[in-house]
Amino acid sequence: MSALRSTSRLFAASKPLFRPAVFARTYATVDPVAQVSATGHATTSVTPESKTSTVQEPTPSEQPRIKKFQVYRWNPDTPSEKPQMQTYELDLNKTGPMMLDALIRIKNEIDPTLTFRRSCREGICGSCAMNIDGVNTLACLCRIPTDTAKDSRIYPLPHTYVVKDLVPDLTYFYKQYKSIKPYLQRDTPTEDGLEYRQSPEERKKLDGLYECILCACCSTSCPSYWWNSEEYLGPAILMQSYRWMADSRDEKTAERKAALDNSMSVYRCHTILNCSRTCPKGLNPARAIAEIKKMMAAH
Amino acid sequence: MASIARQSPLLRQSCLSAFRAPWASKNVAGVSQVVAFHASANKQILPPLPQSIQGTMNDPAPIPHSHPVHGSYHWTFERLVSASLVPLCIAPFAAGSVSPVMDAVICSAIVVHSHIGFDASITDYFPVRRVPKTAAFMKWLLRAFTLGTAVGLYEFETNDVGVTEAIRRVWKA
Repeated sequence: MSALRSTSRLFAASKPLFRPAVFARTYATVDPVAQVSATGHATTSVTPESKTSTVQEPTPSEQPRIKKFQVYRWNPDTPSEKPQMQTYELDLNKTGPMMLDALIRIKNEIDPTLTFRRSCREGICGSCAMNIDGVNTLACLCRIPTDTAKDSRIYPLPHTYVVKDLVPDLTYFYKQYKSIKPYLQRDTPTEDGLEYRQSPEERKKLDGLYECILCACCSTSCPSYWWNSEEYLGPAILMQSYRWMADSRDEKTAERKAALDNSMSVYRCHTILNCSRTCPKGLNPARAIAEIKKMMAAH
Repeated sequence: MASIARQSPLLRQSCLSAFRAPWASKNVAGVSQVVAFHASANKQILPPLPQSIQGTMNDPAPIPHSHPVHGSYHWTFERLVSASLVPLCIAPFAAGSVSPVMDAVICSAIVVHSHIGFDASITDYFPVRRVPKTAAFMKWLLRAFTLGTAVGLYEFETNDVGVTEAIRRVWKA
């Protein structure tokens, strides 16, 4: 699924042919700061790239395909300075195909102060979740659009507290994950004292749930989570909650349901579906939340 | 509400300047200040507070007080009311009959439905932990409006022609 997503980006240019702009749905995006004048802003606003310098490609090739990357920069060591958009120019001939390759190349060859999380570079760890061209996704699974006329804009995950540059603080996200008790809860042993067995049908229920890598792309794309992240659990955590509610080996389903049975934890989900749209792994958190609502209504 | 009034005058100025004629946005030095039009301006209605973490990093986030009355029962009731409104709104016109009982059922369903809907909006946009007084005020305002609507509809049903008949007359007028 994720492979399909990245290849579909190549064909993104053909989309307007089939879909008039009126019907085109857009992602919830960060405001394009370049369009706003720098005067008369709240202090949290970003200095647009027109007010900052541009760092050139250090070693362009013979026929360079120079693409501009505008990256959100904020340094906690100088907290009085506003966040700013820094422009970097890279030759795509010398850069790998993915956004993470571009970021790593910027860090290695142009600006070592650029900070971002990355680990596996293949969409398994979920470290490099960020907002690229208005979409929350993993930088390692996101192809660089080959259209060099258009700049790419890279922000940290929206509505998160930023630690530095592209690194968001996910402490509360993990605390919420802990609050749903994401582990097998069972008191009765099996008859033969061996492992807890499942039928293939029961195991099948966990497909599409266990693959989640908790990159927080979905939760930070959810407007409801933006407004009420202190109490609403958000799509990622709710899908993991459902993963344990759907598990045939778990015996604490009633307790799990009771813990969610309030106005805030689940029911702030208004089926906006940004979560399913943005998931870089192609999972469907909205469906899991709908299943939770069905389970809760049936009890 | 107080938070809406808190936006800085600079912001309001930049919103207004979007509607100004192009020549008006030139300042004394003749440098044009281009201000892009924003349907959703950069208004900080509820600016985020500085981050605060309760307890240590390893403590789970607190679970809100749980009860089915404001949890699953509330949601199921809401969905039942919404679903029942579809046939209720079609039936009187499809059947062509006007009965006071039917009218009463429709009116009460609509009042309950809209109350629940607005209540959800208030819960979303006036978080109790941020603006407790505003949230309480909005809840009571909503209750007053709902009561007013209910009384108004009751008066209309008992002293006038009733909702269904009124819509029918307007439709044919």
